[in-house]
Amino acid sequence: MGNLTVEFFEKTLRNPVMNASGTLGYGKEIEPLWGIETLGTYVTKGLSAKPHHGNPTPRVWEERNGMINSIGLQNIGVERFFDEYFPYFKKRKTPVIVNFFGFTEEEYLACAAKVKPDPFIVALEINLSCPNIKKGGISFGKEPGAVFEIVKHVKSVTKLPLIAKLTPEVRNIAEIAQAAHEGGADGLTLINTMPAAVVDVKSRNIPIKGGLSGPILKPIALRAVYECSKAVPIPIIGAGGIMNTEDAISFFMAGARAIQIGTATFVDPYAIPKIIRGIDEYLDAHGCSGIGDIVGIARDQ
Amino acid sequence: MDDIEATIIQNKHIVSNYYTLKLRLSGSMGRVLPGQFVMLKIPGNEVFLRRPFSVYAYSNNTLTLMYRVVGKGTEILSKCPKNERTLVLGPLGNAFRIRKTDKYIVVAGGIGIAGVHTLIKRLGKKASIFYGCTNKEELSLINDMLHLNPMVSTLDGSCGFEGNVIALLGSYIESTKGEDRQIFVCGPAGMARNLRKLIEKDRTPCQVLVEERMACGLGLCFGCVIKTIDEKEPYKRACKEGPVFDLWEILL
Repeated sequence: MGNLTVEFFEKTLRNPVMNASGTLGYGKEIEPLWGIETLGTYVTKGLSAKPHHGNPTPRVWEERNGMINSIGLQNIGVERFFDEYFPYFKKRKTPVIVNFFGFTEEEYLACAAKVKPDPFIVALEINLSCPNIKKGGISFGKEPGAVFEIVKHVKSVTKLPLIAKLTPEVRNIAEIAQAAHEGGADGLTLINTMPAAVVDVKSRNIPIKGGLSGPILKPIALRAVYECSKAVPIPIIGAGGIMNTEDAISFFMAGARAIQIGTATFVDPYAIPKIIRGIDEYLDAHGCSGIGDIVGIARDQ
Repeated sequence: MDDIEATIIQNKHIVSNYYTLKLRLSGSMGRVLPGQFVMLKIPGNEVFLRRPFSVYAYSNNTLTLMYRVVGKGTEILSKCPKNERTLVLGPLGNAFRIRKTDKYIVVAGGIGIAGVHTLIKRLGKKASIFYGCTNKEELSLINDMLHLNPMVSTLDGSCGFEGNVIALLGSYIESTKGEDRQIFVCGPAGMARNLRKLIEKDRTPCQVLVEERMACGLGLCFGCVIKTIDEKEPYKRACKEGPVFDLWEILL
Protein backbone atom coordinates (compact mmCIF):
# COMPACT_ATOMS: atom_id res chain seq x y z
CA MET A 1 0.00 0.00 0.00
CA GLY A 2 1.36 3.33 -1.02
CA ASN A 3 0.42 6.71 0.25
CA LEU A 4 -2.74 8.12 -1.28
CA THR A 5 -3.32 10.97 1.13
CA VAL A 6 -3.47 14.50 -0.23
CA GLU A 7 -3.51 17.90 1.39
CA PHE A 8 -6.45 19.96 0.27
CA PHE A 9 -7.09 23.37 1.79
CA GLU A 10 -5.21 22.41 4.97
CA LYS A 11 -7.16 19.21 5.33
CA THR A 12 -5.72 15.75 4.85
CA LEU A 13 -7.86 13.62 2.57
CA ARG A 14 -7.52 9.82 2.48
CA ASN A 15 -7.14 9.89 -1.26
CA PRO A 16 -7.61 12.29 -4.18
CA VAL A 17 -10.78 10.62 -5.47
CA MET A 18 -14.27 12.07 -5.17
CA ASN A 19 -17.61 11.52 -6.80
CA ALA A 20 -18.80 14.19 -9.21
CA SER A 21 -21.69 16.20 -7.84
CA GLY A 22 -25.06 14.58 -8.47
CA THR A 23 -23.73 11.13 -9.29
CA LEU A 24 -23.82 9.59 -5.83
CA GLY A 25 -27.22 10.74 -4.59
CA TYR A 26 -27.08 12.08 -1.04
CA GLY A 27 -24.31 9.60 -0.24
CA LYS A 28 -26.23 6.97 1.69
CA GLU A 29 -27.61 5.32 -1.43
CA ILE A 30 -24.28 3.62 -2.22
CA GLU A 31 -23.98 2.06 1.24
CA PRO A 32 -25.44 -1.34 0.27
CA LEU A 33 -22.43 -1.67 -2.08
CA TRP A 34 -19.50 0.08 -0.40
CA GLY A 35 -18.78 2.44 2.46
CA ILE A 36 -18.82 6.17 1.89
CA GLU A 37 -15.51 6.44 3.79
CA THR A 38 -13.90 4.92 0.69
CA LEU A 39 -13.95 8.40 -0.85
CA GLY A 40 -11.33 11.04 -0.29
CA THR A 41 -14.26 13.38 0.10
CA TYR A 42 -17.92 13.21 -0.81
CA VAL A 43 -19.24 15.94 -3.11
CA THR A 44 -22.87 16.74 -2.42
CA LYS A 45 -25.60 16.72 -4.96
CA GLY A 46 -26.03 20.33 -6.11
CA LEU A 47 -27.80 22.16 -3.29
CA SER A 48 -29.79 25.35 -3.45
CA ALA A 49 -31.03 27.77 -0.78
CA LYS A 50 -34.55 26.38 -1.23
CA PRO A 51 -35.55 22.86 -2.33
CA HIS A 52 -35.87 22.44 -6.08
CA HIS A 53 -38.02 19.91 -7.92
CA GLY A 54 -36.04 19.46 -11.13
CA ASN A 55 -37.25 18.51 -14.61
CA PRO A 56 -39.91 16.15 -15.91
CA THR A 57 -38.86 12.89 -17.58
CA PRO A 58 -37.11 11.75 -19.66
CA ARG A 59 -34.14 12.83 -17.60
CA VAL A 60 -31.50 10.44 -18.90
CA TRP A 61 -30.57 9.16 -22.33
CA GLU A 62 -27.70 7.02 -23.55
CA GLU A 63 -25.61 8.07 -26.50
CA ARG A 64 -22.59 6.43 -28.09
CA ASN A 65 -19.83 6.78 -25.45
CA GLY A 66 -21.82 9.21 -23.41
CA MET A 67 -25.04 9.94 -21.65
CA ILE A 68 -27.23 13.00 -21.53
CA ASN A 69 -28.94 14.05 -18.36
CA SER A 70 -31.57 16.63 -17.69
CA ILE A 71 -32.21 16.09 -13.99
CA GLY A 72 -32.66 19.82 -13.50
CA LEU A 73 -30.80 20.01 -10.18
CA GLN A 74 -33.53 18.36 -8.08
CA ASN A 75 -32.52 18.66 -4.44
CA ILE A 76 -33.92 18.90 -0.93
CA GLY A 77 -32.29 22.26 -0.20
CA VAL A 78 -29.17 23.06 1.75
CA GLU A 79 -30.86 23.15 5.17
CA ARG A 80 -32.40 19.72 4.92
CA PHE A 81 -29.10 18.33 3.68
CA PHE A 82 -27.37 19.55 6.82
CA ASP A 83 -30.17 18.34 9.11
CA GLU A 84 -30.68 14.92 7.57
CA TYR A 85 -27.46 13.84 5.90
CA PHE A 86 -24.44 15.77 7.16
CA PRO A 87 -24.36 14.08 10.61
CA TYR A 88 -23.98 10.77 8.83
CA PHE A 89 -20.80 11.94 7.05
CA LYS A 90 -19.36 13.19 10.32
CA LYS A 91 -20.12 9.87 11.96
CA ARG A 92 -18.37 8.07 9.10
CA LYS A 93 -15.45 10.53 9.32
CA THR A 94 -15.89 11.41 5.67
CA PRO A 95 -15.34 15.02 4.69
CA VAL A 96 -17.73 16.80 2.38
CA ILE A 97 -17.47 19.31 -0.44
CA VAL A 98 -20.73 21.22 -0.69
CA ASN A 99 -21.73 21.77 -4.31
CA PHE A 100 -24.27 24.56 -4.66
CA PHE A 101 -26.10 26.71 -7.18
CA GLY A 102 -28.76 29.38 -7.55
CA PHE A 103 -30.97 30.80 -10.23
CA THR A 104 -30.03 34.33 -9.23
CA GLU A 105 -26.93 35.78 -7.63
CA GLU A 106 -28.94 36.35 -4.43
CA GLU A 107 -29.77 32.65 -4.30
CA TYR A 108 -26.12 31.72 -4.71
CA LEU A 109 -25.16 33.99 -1.84
CA ALA A 110 -28.02 32.84 0.37
CA CYS A 111 -27.04 29.21 -0.12
CA ALA A 112 -23.33 29.77 0.48
CA ALA A 113 -24.05 31.78 3.62
CA LYS A 114 -26.09 28.92 5.06
CA VAL A 115 -23.10 26.55 5.07
CA LYS A 116 -21.28 27.02 8.36
CA PRO A 117 -17.62 26.03 8.57
CA ASP A 118 -17.06 22.63 10.13
CA PRO A 119 -13.98 20.38 10.40
CA PHE A 120 -15.75 17.96 8.03
CA ILE A 121 -16.40 20.52 5.30
CA VAL A 122 -13.46 20.76 2.90
CA ALA A 123 -14.86 23.48 0.67
CA LEU A 124 -17.79 24.88 -1.22
CA GLU A 125 -17.99 24.00 -4.90
CA ILE A 126 -19.86 26.60 -6.90
CA ASN A 127 -21.65 25.35 -9.98
CA LEU A 128 -21.10 28.09 -12.52
CA SER A 129 -22.78 26.39 -15.44
CA CYS A 130 -26.33 26.76 -14.31
CA PRO A 131 -29.27 28.33 -15.99
CA ASN A 132 -29.52 32.02 -16.51
CA ILE A 133 -28.93 34.64 -13.93
CA LYS A 134 -31.64 37.22 -13.39
CA LYS A 135 -29.85 40.17 -14.91
CA GLY A 136 -28.88 40.07 -18.53
CA GLY A 137 -30.10 36.56 -19.28
CA ILE A 138 -26.68 35.14 -20.07
CA SER A 139 -25.27 32.00 -18.50
CA PHE A 140 -22.72 33.79 -16.37
CA GLY A 141 -20.25 30.93 -16.20
CA LYS A 142 -19.26 31.77 -19.74
CA GLU A 143 -18.17 35.36 -19.14
CA PRO A 144 -14.89 36.09 -17.32
CA GLY A 145 -16.33 39.29 -15.82
CA ALA A 146 -19.40 37.54 -14.45
CA VAL A 147 -17.32 34.67 -13.07
CA PHE A 148 -15.01 37.12 -11.32
CA GLU A 149 -17.97 38.96 -9.76
CA ILE A 150 -19.90 35.93 -8.50
CA VAL A 151 -16.79 34.29 -7.06
CA LYS A 152 -15.83 37.52 -5.33
CA HIS A 153 -19.32 37.98 -3.89
CA VAL A 154 -19.57 34.40 -2.66
CA LYS A 155 -16.14 34.71 -1.04
CA SER A 156 -17.44 37.69 0.92
CA VAL A 157 -20.19 35.62 2.57
CA THR A 158 -18.19 32.49 3.49
CA LYS A 159 -15.02 31.59 5.34
CA LEU A 160 -14.85 28.24 3.59
CA PRO A 161 -12.49 27.61 0.69
CA LEU A 162 -14.28 28.03 -2.63
CA ILE A 163 -13.89 25.75 -5.64
CA ALA A 164 -15.28 27.04 -8.93
CA LYS A 165 -16.71 24.32 -11.18
CA LEU A 166 -16.42 25.55 -14.75
CA THR A 167 -18.37 24.81 -17.88
CA PRO A 168 -16.48 23.64 -20.96
CA GLU A 169 -18.88 25.60 -23.15
CA VAL A 170 -16.54 28.57 -23.53
CA ARG A 171 -14.11 29.93 -26.07
CA ASN A 172 -11.15 30.07 -23.71
CA ILE A 173 -11.44 28.14 -20.46
CA ALA A 174 -8.05 29.31 -19.16
CA GLU A 175 -9.36 32.85 -19.28
CA ILE A 176 -12.37 31.85 -17.18
CA ALA A 177 -10.06 30.00 -14.78
CA GLN A 178 -7.99 33.15 -14.43
CA ALA A 179 -11.10 35.21 -13.70
CA ALA A 180 -12.21 32.73 -11.03
CA HIS A 181 -8.75 32.81 -9.48
CA GLU A 182 -8.67 36.59 -9.45
CA GLY A 183 -12.14 36.63 -7.92
CA GLY A 184 -10.72 34.60 -5.04
CA ALA A 185 -11.42 30.97 -5.98
CA ASP A 186 -9.22 28.59 -3.99
CA GLY A 187 -9.54 25.74 -6.48
CA LEU A 188 -11.20 24.67 -9.72
CA THR A 189 -13.23 21.68 -10.83
CA LEU A 190 -12.84 21.02 -14.54
CA ILE A 191 -15.19 20.35 -16.22
CA ASN A 192 -18.96 20.13 -16.07
CA THR A 193 -21.14 18.43 -18.72
CA MET A 194 -21.46 19.78 -22.28
CA PRO A 195 -24.84 20.99 -23.56
CA ALA A 196 -26.24 18.37 -25.94
CA ALA A 197 -29.42 17.05 -27.50
CA VAL A 198 -30.82 13.85 -28.97
CA VAL A 199 -33.14 13.36 -31.92
CA ASP A 200 -35.40 10.33 -31.82
CA VAL A 201 -35.76 9.44 -35.48
CA LYS A 202 -38.63 7.03 -34.82
CA SER A 203 -40.83 9.60 -33.11
CA ARG A 204 -39.28 12.54 -35.00
CA ASN A 205 -38.80 14.66 -31.92
CA ILE A 206 -36.09 15.82 -29.53
CA PRO A 207 -36.82 13.83 -26.38
CA ILE A 208 -34.04 15.32 -24.30
CA LYS A 209 -31.75 18.32 -24.17
CA GLY A 210 -29.26 18.27 -21.34
CA GLY A 211 -25.68 17.80 -20.25
CA LEU A 212 -23.44 15.28 -21.98
CA SER A 213 -21.15 13.22 -19.77
CA GLY A 214 -19.17 10.00 -20.01
CA PRO A 215 -16.08 8.81 -21.89
CA ILE A 216 -16.70 11.13 -24.83
CA LEU A 217 -15.84 14.10 -22.57
CA LYS A 218 -12.43 12.87 -21.45
CA PRO A 219 -10.21 14.54 -24.06
CA ILE A 220 -12.08 17.84 -23.64
CA ALA A 221 -11.64 17.69 -19.87
CA LEU A 222 -7.97 16.76 -20.15
CA ARG A 223 -7.29 19.76 -22.34
CA ALA A 224 -9.07 22.03 -19.85
CA VAL A 225 -7.03 20.60 -16.96
CA TYR A 226 -3.81 20.97 -18.94
CA GLU A 227 -4.46 24.57 -19.95
CA CYS A 228 -5.91 25.84 -16.68
CA SER A 229 -3.29 24.20 -14.49
CA LYS A 230 -0.69 26.11 -16.48
CA ALA A 231 -2.68 29.34 -16.17
CA VAL A 232 -3.47 29.40 -12.44
CA PRO A 233 -1.59 28.27 -9.31
CA ILE A 234 -4.66 26.93 -7.43
CA PRO A 235 -5.41 23.19 -7.17
CA ILE A 236 -7.46 21.63 -9.95
CA ILE A 237 -9.90 18.76 -9.63
CA GLY A 238 -10.26 16.92 -12.92
CA ALA A 239 -13.60 15.52 -14.01
CA GLY A 240 -15.03 14.28 -17.25
CA GLY A 241 -15.21 10.76 -18.61
CA ILE A 242 -12.92 9.06 -16.09
CA MET A 243 -13.88 5.40 -16.42
CA ASN A 244 -10.84 3.53 -15.15
CA THR A 245 -7.43 3.83 -13.48
CA GLU A 246 -5.60 4.81 -16.64
CA ASP A 247 -8.04 7.65 -17.27
CA ALA A 248 -7.55 8.79 -13.67
CA ILE A 249 -3.75 8.73 -13.95
CA SER A 250 -3.92 10.74 -17.16
CA PHE A 251 -5.76 13.54 -15.34
CA PHE A 252 -3.08 13.70 -12.63
CA MET A 253 -0.38 13.78 -15.29
CA ALA A 254 -2.20 16.61 -17.07
CA GLY A 255 -2.09 18.66 -13.87
CA ALA A 256 -5.07 17.67 -11.68
CA ARG A 257 -4.42 17.25 -7.95
CA ALA A 258 -7.65 15.35 -7.43
CA ILE A 259 -10.31 13.76 -9.60
CA GLN A 260 -14.05 13.26 -9.63
CA ILE A 261 -15.82 10.18 -10.97
CA GLY A 262 -19.34 10.57 -12.33
CA THR A 263 -20.92 8.56 -15.12
CA ALA A 264 -18.54 5.62 -14.53
CA THR A 265 -20.46 4.83 -11.35
CA PHE A 266 -23.62 4.22 -13.38
CA VAL A 267 -21.76 1.85 -15.69
CA ASP A 268 -20.04 0.04 -12.83
CA PRO A 269 -21.20 0.97 -9.31
CA TYR A 270 -17.80 -0.20 -8.02
CA ALA A 271 -15.86 2.12 -10.34
CA ILE A 272 -14.78 4.47 -7.53
CA PRO A 273 -13.27 1.85 -5.18
CA LYS A 274 -11.68 0.10 -8.17
CA ILE A 275 -10.05 3.32 -9.40
CA ILE A 276 -8.78 4.20 -5.91
CA ARG A 277 -7.19 0.75 -5.66
CA GLY A 278 -5.83 1.12 -9.18
CA ILE A 279 -4.16 4.45 -8.42
CA ASP A 280 -2.60 2.96 -5.31
CA GLU A 281 -1.21 0.04 -7.30
CA TYR A 282 0.08 2.35 -10.00
CA LEU A 283 1.96 4.51 -7.48
CA ASP A 284 3.41 1.40 -5.84
CA ALA A 285 4.46 -0.13 -9.13
CA HIS A 286 6.20 3.07 -10.20
CA GLY A 287 7.93 3.75 -6.92
CA CYS A 288 6.03 6.97 -6.26
CA SER A 289 5.83 8.32 -2.73
CA GLY A 290 2.46 9.92 -3.43
CA ILE A 291 0.23 11.39 -6.07
CA GLY A 292 2.35 14.56 -6.04
CA ASP A 293 5.04 12.62 -7.91
CA ILE A 294 2.92 12.44 -11.04
CA VAL A 295 0.81 15.64 -10.91
CA GLY A 296 1.57 17.62 -14.05
CA ILE A 297 4.42 15.42 -15.32
CA ALA A 298 2.90 15.04 -18.79
CA ARG A 299 2.06 18.74 -18.94
CA ASP A 300 5.56 19.80 -18.00
CA GLN A 301 7.34 17.56 -20.50
CA MET B 1 -25.28 -6.59 -2.34
CA ASP B 2 -22.69 -7.41 -4.95
CA ASP B 3 -22.28 -7.29 -8.70
CA ILE B 4 -22.79 -10.90 -9.75
CA GLU B 5 -21.15 -12.52 -12.75
CA ALA B 6 -23.66 -14.30 -14.93
CA THR B 7 -23.68 -16.58 -17.96
CA ILE B 8 -26.49 -16.69 -20.48
CA ILE B 9 -27.85 -20.21 -20.58
CA GLN B 10 -30.84 -19.45 -22.79
CA ASN B 11 -32.03 -16.47 -24.83
CA LYS B 12 -35.27 -17.56 -26.37
CA HIS B 13 -37.54 -15.80 -28.79
CA ILE B 14 -41.17 -16.25 -27.73
CA VAL B 15 -43.35 -14.25 -30.06
CA SER B 16 -43.15 -11.00 -32.08
CA ASN B 17 -40.49 -8.99 -30.23
CA TYR B 18 -40.70 -10.78 -26.88
CA TYR B 19 -37.87 -12.90 -25.44
CA THR B 20 -36.93 -14.71 -22.28
CA LEU B 21 -33.36 -14.67 -21.01
CA LYS B 22 -32.11 -17.26 -18.58
CA LEU B 23 -28.92 -16.54 -16.67
CA ARG B 24 -26.81 -18.74 -14.42
CA LEU B 25 -25.41 -16.55 -11.65
CA SER B 26 -22.03 -17.23 -10.06
CA GLY B 27 -23.50 -16.47 -6.62
CA SER B 28 -26.78 -15.92 -4.87
CA MET B 29 -28.80 -12.71 -5.16
CA GLY B 30 -30.38 -13.50 -1.81
CA ARG B 31 -34.10 -13.13 -1.36
CA VAL B 32 -35.97 -11.60 -4.27
CA LEU B 33 -39.39 -10.10 -3.63
CA PRO B 34 -42.20 -9.68 -6.19
CA GLY B 35 -41.78 -6.41 -8.06
CA GLN B 36 -38.02 -6.10 -7.62
CA PHE B 37 -35.67 -5.63 -10.56
CA VAL B 38 -32.07 -6.06 -11.61
CA MET B 39 -29.65 -3.88 -13.57
CA LEU B 40 -28.17 -6.01 -16.35
CA LYS B 41 -25.02 -5.23 -18.28
CA ILE B 42 -25.72 -5.63 -21.98
CA PRO B 43 -22.87 -7.81 -23.28
CA GLY B 44 -20.43 -6.20 -25.71
CA ASN B 45 -19.09 -2.69 -25.89
CA GLU B 46 -21.81 -0.84 -27.72
CA VAL B 47 -24.06 -0.13 -24.75
CA PHE B 48 -22.46 1.13 -21.60
CA LEU B 49 -25.29 1.96 -19.25
CA ARG B 50 -27.00 -1.02 -17.70
CA ARG B 51 -30.64 -1.76 -18.33
CA PRO B 52 -33.31 -2.43 -15.72
CA PHE B 53 -35.40 -5.60 -15.97
CA SER B 54 -38.05 -6.96 -13.64
CA VAL B 55 -37.18 -10.31 -12.16
CA TYR B 56 -39.42 -12.74 -14.02
CA ALA B 57 -38.28 -15.74 -12.01
CA TYR B 58 -35.42 -16.57 -9.69
CA SER B 59 -34.34 -19.73 -7.93
CA ASN B 60 -31.13 -21.64 -7.26
CA ASN B 61 -28.95 -18.88 -8.69
CA THR B 62 -30.86 -19.01 -11.96
CA LEU B 63 -32.41 -15.74 -13.02
CA THR B 64 -35.03 -15.43 -15.73
CA LEU B 65 -35.97 -12.16 -17.37
CA MET B 66 -38.68 -11.56 -19.93
CA TYR B 67 -38.13 -8.61 -22.23
CA ARG B 68 -39.45 -6.87 -25.27
CA VAL B 69 -37.13 -5.36 -27.85
CA VAL B 70 -37.76 -1.64 -27.62
CA GLY B 71 -34.40 0.03 -28.30
CA LYS B 72 -30.73 -0.47 -28.92
CA GLY B 73 -30.01 -2.22 -25.60
CA THR B 74 -32.71 -4.85 -25.90
CA GLU B 75 -31.97 -5.22 -29.61
CA ILE B 76 -28.35 -6.17 -28.85
CA LEU B 77 -29.47 -8.34 -25.94
CA SER B 78 -31.84 -10.26 -28.22
CA LYS B 79 -28.85 -11.31 -30.35
CA CYS B 80 -26.67 -12.46 -27.46
CA PRO B 81 -25.76 -16.12 -27.76
CA LYS B 82 -25.67 -18.79 -25.09
CA ASN B 83 -22.56 -18.80 -22.88
CA GLU B 84 -22.10 -15.04 -23.22
CA ARG B 85 -20.93 -13.54 -19.90
CA THR B 86 -22.42 -10.52 -18.24
CA LEU B 87 -23.07 -8.82 -14.87
CA VAL B 88 -26.20 -8.55 -12.77
CA LEU B 89 -26.80 -6.13 -9.92
CA GLY B 90 -29.78 -6.79 -7.70
CA PRO B 91 -32.32 -7.34 -6.41
CA LEU B 92 -33.19 -3.64 -6.39
CA GLY B 93 -36.17 -1.48 -5.52
CA ASN B 94 -39.22 -1.83 -3.34
CA ALA B 95 -41.53 -4.79 -3.76
CA PHE B 96 -45.31 -5.13 -3.89
CA ARG B 97 -46.77 -5.04 -0.38
CA ILE B 98 -49.34 -7.76 -0.07
CA ARG B 99 -51.92 -7.20 2.64
CA LYS B 100 -54.50 -9.62 3.98
CA THR B 101 -57.63 -9.29 1.92
CA ASP B 102 -60.45 -11.31 0.35
CA LYS B 103 -59.53 -10.71 -3.26
CA TYR B 104 -56.30 -10.08 -5.08
CA ILE B 105 -56.54 -8.77 -8.61
CA VAL B 106 -53.46 -8.68 -10.83
CA VAL B 107 -53.65 -6.65 -14.03
CA ALA B 108 -50.93 -6.72 -16.66
CA GLY B 109 -50.58 -5.34 -20.15
CA GLY B 110 -48.04 -6.55 -22.71
CA ILE B 111 -44.54 -6.88 -21.29
CA GLY B 112 -46.00 -5.71 -17.96
CA ILE B 113 -46.54 -9.38 -17.28
CA ALA B 114 -42.81 -9.66 -16.50
CA GLY B 115 -43.23 -7.25 -13.59
CA VAL B 116 -46.03 -9.20 -11.92
CA HIS B 117 -44.95 -12.73 -12.80
CA THR B 118 -43.33 -13.50 -9.45
CA LEU B 119 -46.28 -11.90 -7.67
CA ILE B 120 -48.71 -14.16 -9.54
CA LYS B 121 -46.56 -17.18 -8.62
CA ARG B 122 -46.70 -16.07 -5.00
CA LEU B 123 -50.45 -15.45 -4.90
CA GLY B 124 -51.35 -18.50 -7.01
CA LYS B 125 -55.05 -19.30 -7.05
CA LYS B 126 -55.79 -16.49 -4.62
CA ALA B 127 -55.40 -14.00 -7.45
CA SER B 128 -57.69 -13.11 -10.31
CA ILE B 129 -55.48 -12.38 -13.29
CA PHE B 130 -56.32 -9.98 -16.08
CA TYR B 131 -54.01 -9.88 -19.06
CA GLY B 132 -54.24 -7.58 -22.03
CA CYS B 133 -52.21 -7.81 -25.21
CA THR B 134 -52.33 -7.05 -28.91
CA ASN B 135 -53.30 -10.39 -30.40
CA LYS B 136 -53.78 -14.11 -29.80
CA GLU B 137 -50.12 -14.93 -30.48
CA GLU B 138 -48.97 -12.81 -27.56
CA LEU B 139 -51.00 -14.96 -25.20
CA SER B 140 -48.14 -17.44 -25.34
CA LEU B 141 -46.47 -15.07 -22.84
CA ILE B 142 -48.82 -16.41 -20.16
CA ASN B 143 -48.69 -20.09 -21.11
CA ASP B 144 -47.37 -21.02 -17.69
CA MET B 145 -50.36 -19.51 -15.89
CA LEU B 146 -53.24 -20.95 -17.86
CA HIS B 147 -54.16 -23.18 -14.91
CA LEU B 148 -54.93 -19.99 -12.96
CA ASN B 149 -57.68 -19.17 -15.48
CA PRO B 150 -56.52 -15.70 -16.47
CA MET B 151 -59.05 -13.40 -18.10
CA VAL B 152 -57.63 -12.08 -21.33
CA SER B 153 -58.28 -9.34 -23.77
CA THR B 154 -56.77 -8.73 -27.19
CA LEU B 155 -56.87 -5.43 -29.00
CA ASP B 156 -57.66 -7.13 -32.31
CA GLY B 157 -60.27 -9.41 -30.77
CA SER B 158 -58.47 -12.56 -31.94
CA CYS B 159 -58.91 -14.14 -28.51
CA GLY B 160 -60.90 -13.38 -25.38
CA PHE B 161 -62.43 -9.96 -24.86
CA GLU B 162 -61.96 -7.53 -27.71
CA GLY B 163 -60.51 -4.25 -26.49
CA ASN B 164 -58.31 -3.13 -23.64
CA VAL B 165 -57.91 -5.04 -20.44
CA ILE B 166 -59.35 -2.29 -18.24
CA ALA B 167 -62.63 -2.49 -20.13
CA LEU B 168 -62.62 -6.23 -19.41
CA LEU B 169 -61.79 -5.60 -15.77
CA GLY B 170 -64.71 -3.17 -15.47
CA SER B 171 -67.43 -5.80 -15.20
CA TYR B 172 -65.41 -7.79 -12.67
CA ILE B 173 -64.89 -4.71 -10.50
CA GLU B 174 -68.64 -4.10 -10.68
CA SER B 175 -69.50 -7.71 -9.74
CA THR B 176 -67.19 -7.72 -6.72
CA LYS B 177 -68.33 -4.33 -5.44
CA GLY B 178 -68.26 -4.04 -1.66
CA GLU B 179 -65.65 -6.78 -1.26
CA ASP B 180 -62.28 -6.06 0.26
CA ARG B 181 -59.87 -6.07 -2.68
CA GLN B 182 -56.29 -5.26 -3.53
CA ILE B 183 -55.18 -4.58 -7.07
CA PHE B 184 -51.67 -4.89 -8.53
CA VAL B 185 -50.89 -3.51 -11.93
CA CYS B 186 -48.04 -3.34 -14.43
CA GLY B 187 -48.28 -2.13 -17.99
CA PRO B 188 -48.38 0.94 -20.19
CA ALA B 189 -49.08 4.28 -18.49
CA GLY B 190 -52.37 4.62 -20.38
CA MET B 191 -53.55 1.36 -18.84
CA ALA B 192 -52.85 2.58 -15.32
CA ARG B 193 -54.64 5.85 -16.12
CA ASN B 194 -57.73 3.96 -17.29
CA LEU B 195 -57.60 1.76 -14.24
CA ARG B 196 -57.49 4.79 -12.02
CA LYS B 197 -60.64 6.18 -13.66
CA LEU B 198 -62.36 2.83 -13.20
CA ILE B 199 -61.72 2.57 -9.46
CA GLU B 200 -61.58 6.27 -8.65
CA LYS B 201 -64.92 6.28 -6.81
CA ASP B 202 -64.07 3.43 -4.45
CA ARG B 203 -60.36 4.22 -4.26
CA THR B 204 -59.63 0.52 -4.14
CA PRO B 205 -56.14 -0.16 -2.73
CA CYS B 206 -53.91 -0.48 -5.76
CA GLN B 207 -50.19 -0.68 -6.35
CA VAL B 208 -48.56 -0.01 -9.67
CA LEU B 209 -45.14 -1.05 -10.92
CA VAL B 210 -43.77 1.75 -13.07
CA GLU B 211 -41.13 1.71 -15.79
CA GLU B 212 -38.79 4.62 -16.44
CA ARG B 213 -35.49 5.14 -18.22
CA MET B 214 -32.78 4.48 -15.64
CA ALA B 215 -29.07 5.16 -15.51
CA CYS B 216 -27.93 3.76 -12.16
CA GLY B 217 -30.79 1.76 -10.61
CA LEU B 218 -29.50 2.66 -7.14
CA GLY B 219 -30.98 6.09 -6.44
CA LEU B 220 -27.74 7.90 -7.26
CA CYS B 221 -28.66 9.96 -10.29
CA PHE B 222 -32.34 10.94 -9.93
CA GLY B 223 -32.82 10.12 -13.60
CA CYS B 224 -35.81 7.77 -13.34
CA VAL B 225 -38.31 9.84 -11.40
CA ILE B 226 -42.07 9.69 -11.44
CA LYS B 227 -44.30 12.57 -10.43
CA THR B 228 -46.30 12.12 -7.24
CA ILE B 229 -48.89 14.05 -5.25
CA ASP B 230 -46.27 14.98 -2.66
CA GLU B 231 -46.10 18.74 -2.98
CA LYS B 232 -42.84 19.06 -1.06
CA GLU B 233 -41.00 16.47 -3.13
CA PRO B 234 -43.07 15.66 -6.21
CA TYR B 235 -40.47 13.62 -8.08
CA LYS B 236 -39.73 10.20 -6.56
CA ARG B 237 -37.13 7.81 -7.92
CA ALA B 238 -38.55 4.73 -9.67
CA CYS B 239 -35.43 2.77 -8.69
CA LYS B 240 -35.32 3.76 -5.03
CA GLU B 241 -38.75 4.81 -3.72
CA GLY B 242 -40.32 2.53 -6.41
CA PRO B 243 -40.63 0.81 -8.78
CA VAL B 244 -43.83 -0.13 -6.94
CA PHE B 245 -45.94 2.89 -5.99
CA ASP B 246 -49.38 3.36 -4.54
CA LEU B 247 -51.62 4.26 -7.49
CA TRP B 248 -53.20 7.03 -5.44
CA GLU B 249 -49.89 8.69 -4.72
CA ILE B 250 -48.58 9.06 -8.26
CA LEU B 251 -49.58 11.35 -11.10
CA LEU B 252 -49.90 9.48 -14.36
